[in-house]
Amino acid sequence: MPSLQFSFLIDRLSAFFILLVSVVSVAVAIYSVHYVEHGTHDGRKNLIVSFMNIFIASMVLVIASSTMFSFLFFWEIMALSSFLLVMTDFEKKETGKAGMFYFVMTQLSTVFLLFAFLFIYNATGTFDIQQIRASPLVTSVAFVFLFVGFGIKAGIIPFHKWLPYAHPASPSNISALMSGVMIKVAVYGLVRFVLLMPMELWWGILILVAGTVSAILGVIYALKEHDIKRLLAYHSIENIGIILIGFGLYVIFALSGLQAVATLALIGALFHTLNHAIFKSLLFMTSGSLVNATETRNIEDMGGLIKRMPYTALLFLVGAVSISALPPFNGFVSELMIFQAFFQSAFLGNPALEMLLIASLAVFALTSALAAACFVKAFGITFLALPRSEEAKKAKESPKLMLIGPAILASLCVALGVFSFQIFGILGFSFPIPNMLLIGSLLTGLFVFAWLGLRTTAMKKERIAETWGCGITSQNSKMEYTASGFSEPIVTILKSIFRTQKKSERTYFDNEKVIFKSGKAEIHLMKFFEERLYLPVANFVRKVSLIVNNLQRGDVDLHVAYAFATIVVFLLIIWWFA
Amino acid sequence: MIIAPFQSIAQILIVLILAAAAIIIVKRDISSLVKTYAAQSLLLSLMAALLFVETGSIPLLFLAIIIFVSKTIIIPTFMTHILKKLNIKRDVEFHFLSPMKSLFASVIIIVFVYVSFSRLLAELNFFNSSLFFLGATIGISIVFMGMIVIFTRKQTITNVVGYLTMENGVVLFSLFLTELPLLVEVLIAVDLIMITLLATILAFGIDSTIEEFHNRLNPFQNTRKLSTNETSHDDFLRVQSFLENPNKEDK
Amino acid sequence: MNITLLLYGLLNVLFVLFASPLFISLIKKVKAYAQKRKGPPLLQTYYNLAKLMKKETIYSENASWIMRITPLVNIAALLVASLFVPLIVIPQPTDLVGNVILFLYLLALAKFFMALSGLDAGSTFGGMGSSREMAISALIEPVIIVVFAALAFAFKTINIPDMFREALTSNVLVNPVLILISTSIFIVIIVESSRVPVDNPETHLELTMIHEAMILEQSGKNLAMMELSNAMKQLLLMGILINILFPWGLTTEFTATSILISVGAFLIKAVIVAVIIGLFESSCAKSRLFRLPGLFGLALFLSIVTLIIEVFA
Repeated sequence: MPSLQFSFLIDRLSAFFILLVSVVSVAVAIYSVHYVEHGTHDGRKNLIVSFMNIFIASMVLVIASSTMFSFLFFWEIMALSSFLLVMTDFEKKETGKAGMFYFVMTQLSTVFLLFAFLFIYNATGTFDIQQIRASPLVTSVAFVFLFVGFGIKAGIIPFHKWLPYAHPASPSNISALMSGVMIKVAVYGLVRFVLLMPMELWWGILILVAGTVSAILGVIYALKEHDIKRLLAYHSIENIGIILIGFGLYVIFALSGLQAVATLALIGALFHTLNHAIFKSLLFMTSGSLVNATETRNIEDMGGLIKRMPYTALLFLVGAVSISALPPFNGFVSELMIFQAFFQSAFLGNPALEMLLIASLAVFALTSALAAACFVKAFGITFLALPRSEEAKKAKESPKLMLIGPAILASLCVALGVFSFQIFGILGFSFPIPNMLLIGSLLTGLFVFAWLGLRTTAMKKERIAETWGCGITSQNSKMEYTASGFSEPIVTILKSIFRTQKKSERTYFDNEKVIFKSGKAEIHLMKFFEERLYLPVANFVRKVSLIVNNLQRGDVDLHVAYAFATIVVFLLIIWWFA
Repeated sequence: MIIAPFQSIAQILIVLILAAAAIIIVKRDISSLVKTYAAQSLLLSLMAALLFVETGSIPLLFLAIIIFVSKTIIIPTFMTHILKKLNIKRDVEFHFLSPMKSLFASVIIIVFVYVSFSRLLAELNFFNSSLFFLGATIGISIVFMGMIVIFTRKQTITNVVGYLTMENGVVLFSLFLTELPLLVEVLIAVDLIMITLLATILAFGIDSTIEEFHNRLNPFQNTRKLSTNETSHDDFLRVQSFLENPNKEDK
Repeated sequence: MNITLLLYGLLNVLFVLFASPLFISLIKKVKAYAQKRKGPPLLQTYYNLAKLMKKETIYSENASWIMRITPLVNIAALLVASLFVPLIVIPQPTDLVGNVILFLYLLALAKFFMALSGLDAGSTFGGMGSSREMAISALIEPVIIVVFAALAFAFKTINIPDMFREALTSNVLVNPVLILISTSIFIVIIVESSRVPVDNPETHLELTMIHEAMILEQSGKNLAMMELSNAMKQLLLMGILINILFPWGLTTEFTATSILISVGAFLIKAVIVAVIIGLFESSCAKSRLFRLPGLFGLALFLSIVTLIIEVFA
């Protein structure tokens, strides 16, 4: 067939995404050398490495594809290779569950994409992606299918559930690739197709609302998470939300005729895609080093690692500052661009839409502040103060290559932030964003200046002493603030979103409930999406398949009877129509 | 006709009235609820006075005076008086919506009212300026916010404040919308109804609550318990025996 | 970058650096008078800072380099941020400094490191302070952003000096929207400079303290830097409030007389605002931590309503 062919086209958009994949992959590859060596995956080291390379190649080929057929083909290869990588530790029960979850979700995504592509083929008569532009027949139905299909892969809430399962289960270099790069391929798909299709305003609103919900719920779920990799997985959901907010703003502004703001939002979203790929891979890799060193993923059992793993700590801090969108790092610049686009929403001229954008802006601000709170927790509890377990006490710094890989990305975090203005200038965009080179050098300069000033003017004497522990003779790690304690105020304030139920039963000696006899307190955390959305759907599917199963008993006579009945039905139909 | 300072002051007044309604939704302690209501009414009378200065129509002046006398002086004093008798200080229970959710609901209501008004009334040319449109929108929104107060609060006295807020919303709406002489008549009628309603509800409240109050004073003389919060003599004895000999099993 | 811009930067930063401690003690003085006490002398904060500079610095044995760099990061971030808010002279229009979002995130940078240093020593109090501070600052963030979005709508710019210039040149005496925005900014000042009813800057009681708990382990010159940067933050936020609502006296020219007039005018206005803050603090009680969302919700409601009026009217 002529249309079912592999052909590739690299334009500016796909070149950008290929750059993203390549940069992260190089760093992850360097990291993997020692990670796989020191990991616990005996006998499967070769498999991990080879599948990882297939995985990377398939991602590049998806992005380069110029026909929907080759897009879907490599998309499947990407899904399968990543599934196999997730299943590396298949002996663990947890991994098996996570792998199956991931597999079902990713196949669901493919099904939706298949439907969308068939729709588009129906309208345009060709599988060539670029031909979509020419056809006005491509409708919103195709968009909805594409949105759901890419949304599942990108981890938009409510299709996000596979991320927090698959990431902790898979090896850390694979999590870095999946979270840093693979979900960006889904973003690429969405951007690529929507830009070609005749956009409508409600698409933009849908993307914006889905992005806002993902961003805020992602960060809120991350806050209560103490498994470091699951925490990072929820932050991926949050950041995908931020990217979609930027893209939704692009659609809304472009259709309202504010082209300059629209470009700002789109470039902001794409820049955030790159930035998130970089700092999230960085964070996943360093957290992999942590897990290797302490043999636990629970941050409540870490602590004090800044003295034991100083370089890893520094790298993690760079990632944490970037993801918290603090200047002058790269995460800040892209969020700044999206904020600036938001600030222009008064010029839309549609009050209801403006109010929607303002509400979204408020939620977006809350998201980025909560992300900072979450990373204060993640860094502070993991690295600072005293070790909270024996393993953390014995932790050692990672081998060299496991530092070099993340270090490349960390230096990119700084460089992309500080030189953002110049980079956009070279690429030919002139946005009214502040020159971060100036701010960065001012910050460094004043930092050094303050240091020198203090050294010359202030008292030089320093003393190392014990932390005051309210009269306790020797301080221990039990006295430190825990991760759950840290997030407690926010969890209590947002308890209607977490759906925590605090149940307490008390018995008393007297009827007036004065003298306390005994009591029991429980905190229930409801997994809202799992219990209200996934399980009902799964149960429904199971019921239907049970019915189908009953029809198909493997009895030959019965099957002959089915064949007979079918023929009769067909005959009746022919008779009816003829 | 309408010049800039007038418009600015009117906008400020409208928003302050709205803010007062928001405070009424959030506040838990009743005496400040009443004070906020008084402040809201004062702002409303200032609004009427401002409109009088602007348009020069005498009924508006009357209206301002009536609002000031009845709502900023008489009703709040009456309510404070009753509060003292009732000995209730705060109303901390909320149904259906927490205060935060109620505030968000009110924002949504404001936008909704605005959008539906602009669709409904723009063609009819009811409003000669955007300010009047804003006033009418906020007026109706305050009516809804008063309703929120009524259904989220449990105590009768807070419900009354909710009714009064609703009524203030009606007045604000009518200030910007209807013909004036009619307005005064309607307003007085509504005020009378409100005051009678208030008086009845509150009188009822006093009766039932004073009985309770008596019981609370003499808990040990009552053989029957009236509510779980009161201590009866039996339990007192049981607790005492437990304290004397904790090991002995309670019969 | 031309010479006047450099001059502006130097002048503004030095002014913020040297004037900010005054308002800390001024507010203390007002509160003392409200309680019929005499209160500390007006220059007490300067004396405190000078004393702290002469004291030795004590580090916890558990603490890492985070503890050592935090005061420097704080003071550097605040010094850069003070370039963004012209208090005396409005510089020529420039894109280099003044972006309002960058200003807010510089403050966030300082806060991030402050919260980390609270956790660093491994004491029970520091973590409590960091946790509460991050929760509160996260919840006030939507209010701050919406308020500044409202400002950006009102002045059609996201550059703080340009906003001030607009405010200075506009001939409307009182803009209703600005009065409403100022109310919200006032709440933001109360929250960000950790004052009653959100936090109590005077006590070291574990129930009430938030900001003080975080810097409990700092000492000597480092504590001096933390306190100085806190004072600077307060003055900068006050400066935004003052120069938006009452920009009179602010100058755009670099002449000695106009600068002197401007300094005098700003000091008078800032004293008035500080007195109002002190009186406000004296008039209310510290509210429970979990009641604060209600207060913030009210502030958010007010700022969203402001935006609604801007958008609709």
